[in-house]
Amino acid sequence: MSTLPTAPPPGSDARLPGALLRSLLLAAVALFFLNFNILGTASPSKRFSQDLVYAWFGNEAWLYPRPTQPAPPGAAPGRKVVVVMLNEPALALRGARWPVPVQFHAQFLAELEVLKPRSIFLDFLLLDPAPPEDRCELLQVGERLRAGGISLYLAVTEPADLALLEVAGCKNPQGAPIHAAQVFTPVAVQRQADNSDFVSRRYPFEQRAASEAAGSGLPSAAVRMYCDATAAPAPCLARLTSYAAPDAGFDLAWSPDGDPFNRRWSNAPCTPDISPARAIFNEPVLPRESPCPPVATLFADALLSPDIDPALGLDNQTLFDLAQGSFLLVGGNFRGSGDLVTTPLHTLLPGIYYHGVALQNLISFDGRPKVRKEFRAPKILFYLYDLMVLWVLAAIFMWRQRVLARSRPGEHSPFELSAAARAWLAPFIARYPTPVWILGAVLLLLLMATFRSLQLIAVAAIVVLLIVVELRVTPSAERHERLRALWLYLGAMALSLAVIGVAIWVGYAWLRLPPGDWLGYLSFVAFGFFVAHAAILEFGRRVDELHVARHTG
Amino acid sequence: MRLCLLLVLVAAAPIRADEPLPAAAAKPLAACQTPNNRILGPRSADRPLPLLAGDPQHGFHAACTVPWSTLSPRNEGLAVAECFQGSLLRLDNSSACGVVTGPLWVGSRWVLTSADLNRTASRQATCQQLETGAWAGTRDLNLTCIPQKKPADSKADSAAPAPAAPAPAGH
Repeated sequence: MSTLPTAPPPGSDARLPGALLRSLLLAAVALFFLNFNILGTASPSKRFSQDLVYAWFGNEAWLYPRPTQPAPPGAAPGRKVVVVMLNEPALALRGARWPVPVQFHAQFLAELEVLKPRSIFLDFLLLDPAPPEDRCELLQVGERLRAGGISLYLAVTEPADLALLEVAGCKNPQGAPIHAAQVFTPVAVQRQADNSDFVSRRYPFEQRAASEAAGSGLPSAAVRMYCDATAAPAPCLARLTSYAAPDAGFDLAWSPDGDPFNRRWSNAPCTPDISPARAIFNEPVLPRESPCPPVATLFADALLSPDIDPALGLDNQTLFDLAQGSFLLVGGNFRGSGDLVTTPLHTLLPGIYYHGVALQNLISFDGRPKVRKEFRAPKILFYLYDLMVLWVLAAIFMWRQRVLARSRPGEHSPFELSAAARAWLAPFIARYPTPVWILGAVLLLLLMATFRSLQLIAVAAIVVLLIVVELRVTPSAERHERLRALWLYLGAMALSLAVIGVAIWVGYAWLRLPPGDWLGYLSFVAFGFFVAHAAILEFGRRVDELHVARHTG
Repeated sequence: MRLCLLLVLVAAAPIRADEPLPAAAAKPLAACQTPNNRILGPRSADRPLPLLAGDPQHGFHAACTVPWSTLSPRNEGLAVAECFQGSLLRLDNSSACGVVTGPLWVGSRWVLTSADLNRTASRQATCQQLETGAWAGTRDLNLTCIPQKKPADSKADSAAPAPAAPAPAGH
């Protein structure tokens, strides 16, 4: 602390470029430590911080403007995402059982046709042998849906998987042969997870080998479905699959709130009580489970049998309002099937929600989802943006230090105990033998470390005690001076927060950076980092003095 | 008769939202328990009706999609010849798809029956639950075994993958 550059270098008081350069040096050090991650230890905390942001603010429109209400009756259908969940009861209603037979898929597609959706995605890998008549039936139904303007997408591990559905001699009612590639658009369903904790926060743009060029792979389901629904699918696909890294993907924004439609079947409230205040009181900060997922979900048994959900209406109007013009994503909800995804809110959901939320993200962000700096090009520009933000924050810090140094030379923090308070406290503690007060302090800290509930109480009590001591023993003039320093500190902090607010807005809305890439700015609000690393400024000042001395002789 | 009435009342009783009933078998099958149940018309006039062919023993398959007028040109009610799981109603018609397909079935989701009108109005859906439990066990993979000792001349066959039924996309 004694090396804080409170005094400007001799002869350079009025040199604004010099001050700017020194703040730039401090910002560069801050940038280095902000991105310091040699052993990968910073990744989990960065990602967990991002999860907390979505858990606390994921239902705010400024962070995740997802549409949750279906289009009103009679209005033009919106671009809503609906998960259709196949389950055991639905199979039982048609006399089938798990694993879902191809025959059932054909029947079910015919039922979905009545809902007049925009497109249908089957999140089932139809890789295993099925009778030719069943495969042909699926192709015939699929071709009819295609002819009716409903796009069909099928999960595959590679495009060649579609050949497994081919049936020689399978023809449509007009006698023309039907091929699987004419009926289904193959889409990739590969899942990405962060290496640090295996949470699926990212959604891949495409599936391709590292040796293949960007854009040459198989587009992921949500990406393909979104682009096909735009006015210009080809440019949309080219843009979204233009990232050089083969594992490039976009970060999924999640909402802790469930879709309002799911209230009808969920046994739990769809708006969990998750707030930052809970963290202060050591209560769970993430939802324990997701009984009410964030994508509207229609269970297949409720679709097939009106007895399951009579509230869908005698005339099925609620059903049509939900599904007409929507993206229908058909997935499985079978006990023990293993198709589960660990969401950023750390809860497990059936895998189909991975695609559902990804599609919601693409729609909500108008095809411009949030992509990490590491996948962007040219990457250095995004780190340059970080540097600019930190430069402004460093300049605010140095301005505060200069003002503080002018009014209270030798003191740097408004939170330090005054000399008077220290002079009062030391004799008070000195009444006790050294072993007693040291052991007492150790015991207090040990208890605080052991019992978390004590921490908040003890910190609050100590702060109140110190304020009372300061008010009693500090001279009035010094109190005013300290109060002024405190206001200066808070003012500088508010200014820094405003700068960070603008930086976050630009970073999130314009540069499309996920929260993990800009949350670090907040660690510079309280100036602790700058204080700890201000030694570089002292070093810079000495170098500057030597340089000036050399040139002036 | 009293037993029938009791069954109808039980079937029509509203389901409490806080009592999850995961299995279809636990549901009341109103359409199948109402005597002289008749199909009165489509639930929504402007939507086609998907028809299934087949039977419960051999399985159902998609047959065709037709408008209500094809099934009932004079817009009259149709008798329910048979009922399956409360959600499939067999029509006394096997040629509505243009060719003889065998017995045709329509889902009770798409047609209004006399049983629907008689039922007590309910606005509550059955509680559903997402299956998010992890299980350390293999379930119903239905794999066909390949004998370990095979004749020397069937190497090509041994390279073929073992047939299995389709599975949900797990990644």
